[in-house]
Order: sequence, then C-alpha cells, then structure tokens
Amino acid sequence: MTSKRPSQLRVSGKRHNHSPTTSFLLEIGSEELPWQMIQPAMTQLAQLTERLLEDQRLSHGRVRSFGTPRRLSVVVEDLALKQTSVFQEVLGPPKTVAFDPRGRPTKASEGFAKAQGVAVNKLVTRTTPKGIYVCAVKREAGLSAARVLTQHLPGIIQRLTFPKTMRWNASGVRYPRPIRWLIALMGTKVLSIDVAGVRSGSRSWGHRFTSRERPGETATKGLEIQRPEEYEAVLERAGVVVDPSRRRTLLRQRLKRLTRSSEESVYQANQEELLEQAVFSLECPNVLLGNFDARYLALPPEVLITSMQEHQGFFSVVDQNRNLLPRFLAPTNVKVKNMELIRAGNERVLAARLADAQYFFHEDRKGKLAERVPQLHGVVFHKKLGSLYQKTERTVVLVGALAQAAGVLEVKEACQRAAFLCKADLVTGMVGEFPALQGVMGKKYAAHDGESVEVCEAIGEYYQPRTPDDDVPKTIVGRLLSIADRLDTLSAFFYAGIVPSGSEDPFGLRRSAFGLIRIVVEAGMTLHLGEILQQAEGLLNRQGVNVASRPAGERAGNDASRSPVLGFLLDRLRFYGRTVCGYREDVVESIIHGPHGADGDLRDLFLRMDALQAVTNRQEFDPLLIGFKRAHRIVEKEAWASSGVNAERLTHPTERALHQAVETIRRAVEQSLASGDYHGALKRLIDLKRPIDQFFEGVLVNAPEPEKRANRLSLLRQVDELFSSFGDLSRIQVQGQ
Amino acid sequence: MTVQHLILALHQFWANQHCIICQPYDVEKGAGTFNPATFLRVLGPEPWRAAYVEPCRRPTDGRYGDNPNRLQHYYQYQVVIKPCVENVQSLYLDSLATMGINPRKHDVQFIQDDWESPTLGAWGLGWEVRLDGMEITQFTYFQEAGGHPLDPVTVELTYGTERIAMYLQDVDTVYDLQWSEETTYGDLFHDAEVQFSQYNFQAADVAMLRTMFTSCEEECRKLLGQDLVLPAYDYCMKTSHWFNVLDARGAMSVAERTGYIGRVRGLARECATAYIQRRERLGFPLLKNRGAPSSPIV
Repeated sequence: MTSKRPSQLRVSGKRHNHSPTTSFLLEIGSEELPWQMIQPAMTQLAQLTERLLEDQRLSHGRVRSFGTPRRLSVVVEDLALKQTSVFQEVLGPPKTVAFDPRGRPTKASEGFAKAQGVAVNKLVTRTTPKGIYVCAVKREAGLSAARVLTQHLPGIIQRLTFPKTMRWNASGVRYPRPIRWLIALMGTKVLSIDVAGVRSGSRSWGHRFTSRERPGETATKGLEIQRPEEYEAVLERAGVVVDPSRRRTLLRQRLKRLTRSSEESVYQANQEELLEQAVFSLECPNVLLGNFDARYLALPPEVLITSMQEHQGFFSVVDQNRNLLPRFLAPTNVKVKNMELIRAGNERVLAARLADAQYFFHEDRKGKLAERVPQLHGVVFHKKLGSLYQKTERTVVLVGALAQAAGVLEVKEACQRAAFLCKADLVTGMVGEFPALQGVMGKKYAAHDGESVEVCEAIGEYYQPRTPDDDVPKTIVGRLLSIADRLDTLSAFFYAGIVPSGSEDPFGLRRSAFGLIRIVVEAGMTLHLGEILQQAEGLLNRQGVNVASRPAGERAGNDASRSPVLGFLLDRLRFYGRTVCGYREDVVESIIHGPHGADGDLRDLFLRMDALQAVTNRQEFDPLLIGFKRAHRIVEKEAWASSGVNAERLTHPTERALHQAVETIRRAVEQSLASGDYHGALKRLIDLKRPIDQFFEGVLVNAPEPEKRANRLSLLRQVDELFSSFGDLSRIQVQGQ
Repeated sequence: MTVQHLILALHQFWANQHCIICQPYDVEKGAGTFNPATFLRVLGPEPWRAAYVEPCRRPTDGRYGDNPNRLQHYYQYQVVIKPCVENVQSLYLDSLATMGINPRKHDVQFIQDDWESPTLGAWGLGWEVRLDGMEITQFTYFQEAGGHPLDPVTVELTYGTERIAMYLQDVDTVYDLQWSEETTYGDLFHDAEVQFSQYNFQAADVAMLRTMFTSCEEECRKLLGQDLVLPAYDYCMKTSHWFNVLDARGAMSVAERTGYIGRVRGLARECATAYIQRRERLGFPLLKNRGAPSSPIV
C-alpha cells in the first residue's frame, strides 16, 4: 500500500472574534525617495502585507499603508496574536482493514496511528467515494504572529519593486535610496529584524528640520513610537503628515486660501500633475505665494508656465479671464514663522529662470524658422534612420499625398509648408531648454516669421494627441500633418526592423499609432492608408536609408496588400474599439478580418464595428447568426466555390424564397454599404433570418440528386458571401452558446 | 561671508571629517568629477576621502558676462567619501550651518536627480539639494564609473559655490559677489567671461580644435599602451575639454557630437580599467587606511 494518502487541510471553524488581537506597524525609513515611486510602493506594501497575513493565517482588520519621501509604512489593525490553527486530516487504511470484526484496532491501524502521531483511539472514520477509511485528525496549533512576522518581514521589504534602485553598503541590498531605520512594532513589542545592516526598533524620525531630531545624530534618540495606533499622531506632532491623502487635502486648502481672496485662481491645466508631485515630495505640506517681475509676462504664457512647472514645481496663477498673473505658488516642506526668507529665495530663482527664457526667446527670433531647417541635417532621427532633415523631406511628400487622398487639395500647399517647418523648433534654444515646448515654440516663431495662420496652427498642434486624454488637432492641416508625421515614423522604424515587442516600445510607436487612430476616427477622416504606406516605404527606399540590419527575408515576406505597419495600425484600432468604445472582441475581430481590413480605411472599419456592435443588441441578431453560421459551415466544409444558382432548378418553395430574399436583400445591402449606411445594411441582413431558417427546415442540402445538392450549396454560398461582404461574421460568437 | 571665507569654511569642516584637502587639478575640465581625485579614486576597493575646489569650464554656458548666474568658468566644491557613511546627509546639512545657512529657517529639499555622465561612462543616484528652490548641491551615490560597477560605493557632494555665496551675500548677480572683503567676483572674472565667451563661441579655430582632439586621443591610447595611466588620463580629460569647446563653437552636428562623446567615453573606460589594474599590481596601497582612526565620521 504505497499509494499516496489523501490529506487535506481544514482551517479550524472556530471564529476568532473574541481572540485577543494587537496592532502592527512597519516603517521603512530611508533617505529621500523619488516622489514618483512612493505611491506605487505604498500599494505594493499594503498588498504584500495582506498576502503575507492571509498566507500565514493571521486574521486581521484594516491594513493601511503610508508614504512620504523619507518613509514607507504599513499599519495593521486587529491583528491576531496567533495563526489560526488548522486541522490536517490524513486518510489511513480502509475501515475493514483497520478494525477486526469485533471492532478492535488491527496492527494496520496501530501502525498508521503511530506514524501520524495520534492515539489509536483518536482515529475517526471518513466516508469517501472509495469506501470508508480511518482517518487521523491532527491539529496544528498556530504559531505566534510575532514569530511569523519576524521571519517574513525582511522578505516583504526586499520584494518591493522599484523602477530604479541602488547599492550603498556591503549588504548589497538594493533600494531606491539608502535605508536608514526600521520600525517593526507589534503592540508595544519590537520585532527584531535586520535589513541592509539596519536593525529594527521603535524609533522613528520626524521632520528633517523643524523636528528636533535628526537621524544619524548620535546625540538624539528620535521619536519613540509606543504603539502602532499612535504612529500618525506622533509623527504629525513632529511635523510629518504620513498620509498622502491628508497631505493632498491640506495642499488643496492652502492653494485655495492663497488665491481665493482676490480675483485669482490656480492655473488648472497642470494643477493635478503638480499637486501629485507636491504631495509625494513633501512631508510637511505647505505652499507660499510669490511674485515675479510683470515684464516677463511679455513671454508666451506657455514658456512661463513650463518654466515654473518643469524646473521649480510651481503652480501658476491666472485671473478671471485666464490670463497669467505675475505670481506663483511654490510648494514648500516647512512651516516656519517667517516665510519671507524662503519666499525671497524662490522669487530669485524663478527670476533667473525667466531671464534665461527671455534670453532664448530673444536669440531664437533673430533668425527665421525656415533658416533653421538645414540644421536638421545634423539632428539624428535615429541612428539607423538618418537625420531629421531626411524625415522632414519625407513628411513633406507624404502630407501632400494625404491632402490629395483626403480630397483637400486646397490646403496641400499649407500642409507641405507646415511639414517643412515643423521640426525646426527643435534646434532653437528654447526647445533645447524646455523640450516640452516643441510645437508650441514652432508655432510662435512661425507666426513671428509671418507664416500663414493655418501653417502656424498646424505646427502648434501636430504633436497632438500627446496623451490618451489629449485632444486631436483641430485644423485639417494639423490633422494631416500629424498623420503624415506618425505614418513616416511608423514606416521608418518598421523599415529598420525596430518593432515593439511585448512591453518593449522604447520609441512610443504604439502611442504614435494610437494617436493616428484617434485622429482618423474622431475627426472622421476617410483615407486609404494602404497606398500611402507603400509610398512611405518608397520614400525611405529612395533616400537610401540604411536597412542592412533588417532581418533577412523580412521584405520578401511582406504582403503588398497588408504592410506590417498597416497590421500594426489595425492592432491599435482593435485596442481602440475594445477599450475606448467597449466593443465586443468578436465584433472587432470580424471587421478586422473582413474583406476591407487591407484597404487601410481605418475610419470605415471603425464605422463597421460601430454598426455591428449596435446590431448585436437586437434580439433577432443571435438567431440570425445561428442560421448564417450553419450556412457558412456547410460552404466551408464542402469548400464550395461556386455561387452560380440555377433559379429554374430550385424546386422547393423555401429554396425559391431564400433565393429571392438573397437577390433582393443583396441589392439593398449593396446600396446601403455604398452610401456608408452600415446600420441600414445590417438591418437588411436581419430580414434574411426567416428565409434561412425555413430553408433549413424545408430542404435537405445533401440531396441525393447531385444537381439539387449543387444548387443548394451555391445558394448557401450566396448567403455566405452576402454576410461576408460586411465582415467575417463567422467570427461572431452567438451569445448563450 | 565672502567667497573665499566660504571655501575656507568648507575646507575646515571637511578637514575635520578626515577628508584630504586636495588642490585643484591643473587640467581643464567640465566638472570636479573629472579630477582624478574623484574619477580614478572611486574605482577599486581602496577607501578615499577628499575635498577640493575645482575650477570648471563649461564653454556652452558662457553669456559674455551678461547673465546673472551663467558662467563658462566657475568653481565647484567637491567632496568624495568612499565608502559612503551612514550620516552623510546630516554631515552635509551641518556643513551648510558652518556657512551660515540655518536649515531650520529655510526650505531645504532633496529632489531626485539621478546623475549620468555619458563621457565618463559613469552614473549614480541622488538628488539636487535645493535651498528655497535654488539648486545648491548635487548629491550622488556613484554606482558605476568608466563602465565599472563600484564597490564600495562612493558618495559625491558637489556644492555650487557661487550660488551659495550669492544666497549668503544676498546679491542678484554673481559679479556682485565679494570674493574677498575688497574685491568682487566681477573684478576678478567679468572680463574673463567676456573674452572666453567670445573665444568659445566665435574665435576658437575649429580645425585646430579637431586636431587637438585627435592628437590627445592618440596620445592617451599610446600612453595606456605604456602603462602610464595617469598621464593617459590627463589626455582623456583634454579630449573632453576640446570637445566642449567644439560644442560651444556649434561646430558639430548632433550625430558628430554623439560620435565625439563615444570617443571620450572609450578613453575614460580604458583609463579606468588600466587604473584598477595598476592599483591592484601595487597591492591597493590605501587599503591600509581601512579602519584607521579617520574611519567613523562623527
């Protein structure tokens, strides 16, 4: 009997409502962490803690994590002092073997009981599908929470992941900045752990400056945390607000208070972004109001806002008409009686920044943007893909082709002028200093040079949408330029074999393609990108861009009708349909794989998806699809290629009815499709439901007479073709099946 | 506090922390990190503590003496401690106090600023320290130099001497700083800013600079072949300087620029490797200082 005995764990049913509980605190004190890393680490810390407690059968109440630049912490309420005990059941020999006919234990059961470490008379029986067996029930008493946590806490700290970590001492431990203290406290008891050469205690450290204590100073003892419950309060008294949501609230209040009195308000567009940065950069959240010289208001507002935001993390202030005021709101990490010194310092720094911006603005306008274009020869687009000048040349041609394809020849010239100028601001001093101002400065400088309004607008907006929430360009020239720039970028990288894979997309090609989808769909642009993509590749070819490093054979494998870039765009269209519009996966796939996928008219595909998604909600849709799929399967199975129906030879009324319906509906569907009325086309298809159903009820496709059979198969093929003219509807999953 | 008193105060402070007070290194360089007292000493296992003033040349930052705080030549105050010590942030804050900056009256923030030098093949994590919004110090835990992972880790502090002095003296332009009681920064350096801006942006002979770069590069390689790593590294620093002037002169395309940076980095790597090998052959002489009385900084 060597077969493995089934055994199972059963957590004791006893509730622990009345068991004694405690509270727990872990604080990882470190030198200042990068602000972006704090929130994600807090989330991880809470999750890892909860998982540990659950895995270790430690019942617990609320788990909350906190974070400031100098600490990540987690507090657990109502933590059980001991693990929940478990019963383990191990099946032994069958009852018939374990006991003799008089009910006394046999050698077999004695041996089993001994091996399991339980008394023979404690053995119980269990009924299993195989019969009745004896069973040893072993109680595993829970370990103390202190012991379990002491063992596992270091693992939790080291399992936190960060985008960038460092070493600092011989322990070799990696963390974003050096770990300097640890608190591991259960109730009033310190759990002794050691991470990176730091031993845990119950001592924390308050605000670096306003609190009396400073870590590393042997003369001070830090802040004694007596019990986890008082953690937040003790630190707050020492100038540290550990809860980020509270810091956020305090900062909001402060921002409001500093602007409410007059006709001012905080500039909205970057407020949330700056607020998050402030929340996670400060331990003691405060804001001060400062001023700058009003003469700098002559600079473009974008320059002022960017200058305040990017370098200093300052909020800008606007009046009721959203005009910038010569003030700023600076987040500070201290509250001291006299903030004048700090205000003056911040004002002086901003003044120097603005003086620099003014210098660039002045210098940049000494020459015309057009004169800078040749400098793009010296700017590498990508080392395998030549210079930005070459890219500019390609974009000029592509945007011309796009203007033609979109039927807006009247703006072709403006498109090409904008394309010619659109990268030139990259070689200006201002954009060198503030890369975020690319496009914005191009527009300003183009306007200064007297370029036309459409050209200036296009240069200003062609990077849009920069983020998934950003607007698409508003002008036709801006849209076409944005599409041309993106198509060229995608074509070029694919041409050089640099293709996103998995999570790797260093050049943001997915984002670029997604932006293109949004412009085409949201601005309603009908463009057959297939041809334009061929042209894009042709341009790269003609420029002799070095493609030596492309994988051999890749080119040969290219299907001219569906370039890899188009496949990539279709993939982004899928994503758009699925996640932005919430379309069903089968709906999206049936259109992508339909007969029009290869045209590259992305808007048309989108409209088809939209119509198909709408019709799926009609109750006739699923029954219709059942009939269609039956027809499709038969045609597919027979590989029936002919759709020539001999109407004379249709004998059965249901055959004739279906034939007639197909003829009528096909014409109607074609008409609807031609006019772009996809909803109408699908509505007409629904009319086929009844004739199809009746056909299948009335006749046998596999008629014994070959002629009849052939005729019926051809009829079904007509049905199949009719449906498939919209999309590959065989991919639609009938719901409830 | 005058600029010179500020430097003296820092010297005194870091000397008390058992740092060797080095003198500036006599080759043009863009940052104190290039000084062999940092770039070479951070390599290998030998402990090292040093502090020094470093004159730095940043040709592209010249503004003909017109900008209140952009200079093509200025002074960094550099501290390196290897292995880094636990209380280094505290020590740093104490050093501010010795210059008369009471951190309790100001807003001192440690803002993430990871440092990378493509020309030195070096990087580290750290912060820029801001005093009331103004960057006054770069604080870096070196992780790699010359392409070599560093163990032990060195911490590097780079003070912007002029900025701090401007703050302390409450002046709006660097040229108004009192260098000494009688003499201003402007008295000493304004004309140099004008002249060197003119030189860097307009007068420098591009062909000569390219030749210099190539000659220094060749010399560096040749010396490395003769196990003369210190002279070789001098020439590596010089290539970096000629590159910086070429850059200011606007004489390079971006592609070319990348190429030059790669060439300097190649030399820096080779120097780093040769330096470690040579120190190893010498038996890493400074290891004897480990555990010496200077060790625990308090």
